[in-house]
Amino acid sequence: MPIVELNKIRKVYDTKVAVEGLSLTMEPGTMFGLLGPNGSGKTSTIRMLIGMTMPDSGSVRLFERPLQREMLNRVGYLPEERGLYKKMKVLDQLVFLGQLHGLSEAVAKERSLAWCERIQITEAIGKKTEDLSKGMQQKIQFIAALLHDPELVIMDEPFSGLDPVNAELLLNTLVDLRREGKTVMFSTHRMDQVERMCDAIALISRGRLVLSGSMREVKARYPRNRVQVIFSGDDGFLGHPEVEEAKNYAGLADLKLYHEAGAQQVLAEAVARGTVVHKFEVKEPTLEEIFIEQVRASFGVEEAGVSANA
Amino acid sequence: MPNRLLNIWLIARREYVERIRTKGFLIATILIPTLMGGGMFGAAELAAKSQTASHIVVLTAQAQPAQDLKHELEHGKDSKMTVEILPLATPHADLDQKMKEKQLDGYLVIEPVAEAGQRPEFDFTPRSTADIATTTAIEEALHRVLIREYLAGKGLSSAQADALLAPVKLNLLGKNGERGNSRTAFLVAYVLFFLMYMVVLLYGMNVARSIIEEKTSRVFEVLLATIQPEELLAGKILGVGAVGLTQVGIWMIAFGLLAAQMGATSGVQISLGQVIYFVVYFSLGYALYSAVAAALGAMTNSEQELQQLNMFLMLPLFFSILMLTPVVTNPNSVLSRIVSQIPFCAPLLMNLRVSLSMPQPWEIALSIGLILVTIYAVLWVSSRIYRVGILMYGKKPNLPEILRWMKYS
Repeated sequence: MPIVELNKIRKVYDTKVAVEGLSLTMEPGTMFGLLGPNGSGKTSTIRMLIGMTMPDSGSVRLFERPLQREMLNRVGYLPEERGLYKKMKVLDQLVFLGQLHGLSEAVAKERSLAWCERIQITEAIGKKTEDLSKGMQQKIQFIAALLHDPELVIMDEPFSGLDPVNAELLLNTLVDLRREGKTVMFSTHRMDQVERMCDAIALISRGRLVLSGSMREVKARYPRNRVQVIFSGDDGFLGHPEVEEAKNYAGLADLKLYHEAGAQQVLAEAVARGTVVHKFEVKEPTLEEIFIEQVRASFGVEEAGVSANA
Repeated sequence: MPNRLLNIWLIARREYVERIRTKGFLIATILIPTLMGGGMFGAAELAAKSQTASHIVVLTAQAQPAQDLKHELEHGKDSKMTVEILPLATPHADLDQKMKEKQLDGYLVIEPVAEAGQRPEFDFTPRSTADIATTTAIEEALHRVLIREYLAGKGLSSAQADALLAPVKLNLLGKNGERGNSRTAFLVAYVLFFLMYMVVLLYGMNVARSIIEEKTSRVFEVLLATIQPEELLAGKILGVGAVGLTQVGIWMIAFGLLAAQMGATSGVQISLGQVIYFVVYFSLGYALYSAVAAALGAMTNSEQELQQLNMFLMLPLFFSILMLTPVVTNPNSVLSRIVSQIPFCAPLLMNLRVSLSMPQPWEIALSIGLILVTIYAVLWVSSRIYRVGILMYGKKPNLPEILRWMKYS
């Protein structure tokens, strides 16, 4: 049974349609990636998901029941815009937020300290938020979302602005949470992370769902028509009629073929021409490629390009 | 639901603890009464000491009244002037020149009388026509000199004349015939009025500012994921209000200790009734104004924008100050009774009337009832503006948008 179920939700701000007829489900115990270019409605969707705003139409179900405020104590939320009280000390702040989630003061304190240790910010405990670096603040916010041991963790752009070391640390924490049986959803436009970690994804563009399903399903929908070749010698095989698009970086070429079956013909051609092939790998398209393709289809070429680079 | 109350309590407690801890609170607690007390005593002292010290010349043919006038002006109640007596024939051009060089503030010409018993003509040429203090002092001094002259003519001695001319002292008595109570009662009413005005304005603005702070730091997003906007709003208003009450409480206790130290001689007394009414009306007034301020804070994105909307908060308070004099001069007039029922003015004006002359119980009950109804209405509107407004960043909403917000939620 799905832990999150959005049914044709729609949200309009003044004249701008933020989300239009969006339906998606999340299974318990999965890692779910919500993808989309900037301004595509990811944050609006998440806000409706946790009842911060109400959809104009459609329904939201959490834990197999219509959304109610009491459920939010079982949800951990990390907003896109980080927000902490600047003048408050870190521990006070964490305890305060933990109490708002229904923890007792003692438990909130104990867990805060344990979490600070776990993600290596013990030295920040006694400091005021305004004296901390941005990355530190983000880690504190991260803790605040997890303090009450939520079953469903929702994070809006959790890794933006973090250095690779800290991003990896938080990423591993999320993986641990999933292993513990929690459901984790996060939004991002970093495709490599999603590809590595997520069991299921949803791609939205201009407020509409473009693509969704388990990672395997999504990828299976696209032919394995990508080839990476490392070679030396004649590059004439790149002009084979089965090749739709070729990018040749002097000895390393990325090919896109018209058909999955074309790969063998291209390899045969290369061998026939006497090209030395060091590596010939047939691949499915990367999520990034799917993303750009889908967003382009829904949007317009330039805008998709900009978002994909962001 | 106890859960909601717990959330409100948590929000209020955080707001209270964080505010009490700041240096700003300490500074305001010390500075406001110091400045207010200093200002009031300073003004009183200044008023008492604003005696004119002009330098004038009197041109006259008669020596005796001129000497009397000189005495009056140099040692009178309101004047410490320097007076020179010159013969009537002194050319005016010389004096005009002296005035130009600012050595002289004016000259008085006493025209000789044609026949005895007639009043002489007095022509005064001041350097500045705006010097009202000097002209008034001269007028009064001349009047006394004329009376003195008349009394001397009737054969009274100078000592007898002095006794006749001595100012009358009016003793103001309180209701129970206590001496010196009535004036201080008025003073206390006055101080309480301005205290409430300042604290309501200050803490109302604090609510708005605190909302803007959470908005700019985006703390809202986290808070709203667990609690409802109404809880946040209620907690905030209660927390900030408790800080205000704490501050007023500190002032009152300090004032009480000070009064006790100075003993009964100071004559300043605040009755327990006054304190209770003050706390009740302060709480109501604060709740009303902070609810308005919360809406203003939710509508704006920065302090600058807030300042443009400040007038909504200030106007009713200014109107109350405008009504201060009419109410003080006649606390039970129709005007006083009407304006003290207007919910936005009632906390200040009804409390003032309570201090001055107790209104009818039904008037107090009605005013409290009206304020409560208004608070409910304002909170209803505010919480809707707040709910939508706090998640709106960037642009300032216009009126049609705000009206649409009310429909949203």
